[in-house]
Amino acid sequence: MSLKILLIDTDAGRARALEEILCESGFAQVWRVPEGAGRIAAIERIQPDVIIVDMAIPDRDALEDLRVVSSGHPIVMFAGSGDPAFAEEAIAAGVCSYNLSGVPLQDIKPIMASAIAVFRRLRQVEDELAEARALLEERRLMERAKAMLMQGRRMTEPEAYRWLQKTAMNQNRRLAEVVATFVSQHDMPADPGKAKRKQP
Amino acid sequence: MNVPSRASTTGTDGTSKLRIGLLRLTDSAPIVTAHEFGFFADESVDVELVIEPSWANIADKLAFGALDAASIVPPLAFAVQLGLRGVAQSMLIPYTLSARGNTVTLTSDLAGQVPAQGGRDGLEALPALATCLREKPLTLGVVHAFSTHNLLLRHWLASAGIEAGLDVKLAVVPPSRAVEALREKQIAGFCAGAPWGEVARRAGVGYSIAGSQQIWSHAPEKAFAVRANWAEQNPDALAGALRALNRSSRFCDAPDNAAYIASLLSRRRYLNLDPHAILAALPGGVETASDCVFHRGATTFPWRSQGLWFLSQMRRWSLIDDSIDLRTLVERVYRPDIYRDALSSQGESMPVADWKVEGAHATEWSLEATPQSIAMPMDRFCDGAVFDPATLPPLGESAMQILARNRGDDVAR
Repeated sequence: MSLKILLIDTDAGRARALEEILCESGFAQVWRVPEGAGRIAAIERIQPDVIIVDMAIPDRDALEDLRVVSSGHPIVMFAGSGDPAFAEEAIAAGVCSYNLSGVPLQDIKPIMASAIAVFRRLRQVEDELAEARALLEERRLMERAKAMLMQGRRMTEPEAYRWLQKTAMNQNRRLAEVVATFVSQHDMPADPGKAKRKQP
Repeated sequence: MNVPSRASTTGTDGTSKLRIGLLRLTDSAPIVTAHEFGFFADESVDVELVIEPSWANIADKLAFGALDAASIVPPLAFAVQLGLRGVAQSMLIPYTLSARGNTVTLTSDLAGQVPAQGGRDGLEALPALATCLREKPLTLGVVHAFSTHNLLLRHWLASAGIEAGLDVKLAVVPPSRAVEALREKQIAGFCAGAPWGEVARRAGVGYSIAGSQQIWSHAPEKAFAVRANWAEQNPDALAGALRALNRSSRFCDAPDNAAYIASLLSRRRYLNLDPHAILAALPGGVETASDCVFHRGATTFPWRSQGLWFLSQMRRWSLIDDSIDLRTLVERVYRPDIYRDALSSQGESMPVADWKVEGAHATEWSLEATPQSIAMPMDRFCDGAVFDPATLPPLGESAMQILARNRGDDVAR
């Protein structure tokens, strides 16, 4: 039996990667639907057996309604799987699936395992990117704090750095934290997003 | 890579973290405020807030233990308890977070034909809307099948003889999509929680013609639901969390704090929306007609009669099986005993009973409570129905039959 698989994802690249893996494994009928209008119409047209869906989209609530209105009773794949650890893994990766035509669990499990792997890979990249961004931001704030101390209190750059380091040590806090507090107290008006940053 | 099981997250000091799920809604205010102001920390409760994009995520994460608690629409908590949309997970509701706050918002065209309820010309919104719906088939959006919005909207329409599914199509539209759906005329209107009606108005695509209170004047809205397992393992933390929430509920109900709460909620990590749209539905905000209630009028008490009303409506619309014993179910899930144990030492007046007759007060009234009685707002259903938890409607009664009987009751009164 050839399963019809529908992928709904906010990330087109990720959906393409998953489609490739599934096609290579012999699942010929894979559709990708981007987030946005036309999802429900696509489901009604394609009548998939399985929907793999990105948990970050709000449309899951609308998808669930299909189960309530349709005569067939599609269920969340996790239901009755007897394998909560597998469901937990999927949730942690941010992906879930709907089984619309009572496909046996052993047929769905490898599909979901691929989805979990693909989602997890992207999540890892995202986490690394967020970490890199945080480091960049720390560096930017450090430069800003030093410049403020150099201009406002007539310190040299090494003096400014030592002053911040000492403050952190005295307060028993992380240097980055002290720097962020210092900059926000001396630099940022109430709404840092909108207000213009003023020069000291 | 091995993903650690999320079912248990025990801190180094042996206390469990309380992971609370929220949606981007104005009535998330008590939980966000309790977190940001350190009310949870004051009670030594380690809380993590998780903002979710869908009710489905909230339900799945509760079912599989990726969340411990949530601000949830009570019908969905019952659905999780019964395993109606996946795996079953025992849930407790020891606290109510809000009342009212939902609006029925129509496209500007349609709203032009339907005068807003309580409008100056004295015409009521519902008969006009019913006429429009009879003239041509339209689709209205609700946020989830197991939502207060679905039940309230169905009840309201039924009171004008409009049966959902027959005279009007109801579709699930997530509120964050509703503005786009209104603009593209995919739906003629929607019933959703604040601030989404106001967001649609500000986007110039819709206008709110009624709110929860036109359907049920003091309609309970979000409940604080917690996994029974977590509650059993962490009774002290749960009591502390309820005390923190109660402090927060008082704070959020004070009109003076509205502007502050609106700016807090508008932050990117919470609602990420215009603070003015959020302000509108807060107590003391501009739109007093459809504002949320967080504390006054015994709002925070987990009334079993209100839980039973939701269940009876779920049965009325065939969302749950006739075979389920609703009274036993509501007693298991709604837990005023936990509420009392946590809050009786806080100087909070405690209702004497766990049940009350719903919809029985056309004016303000006084509720028997200790040590002091509680001033209560008007409590009426749009159709004048009185819901007495002692006399549930019999099984298998269709919506229209209930409607007919309600009308008969009106005549009798």
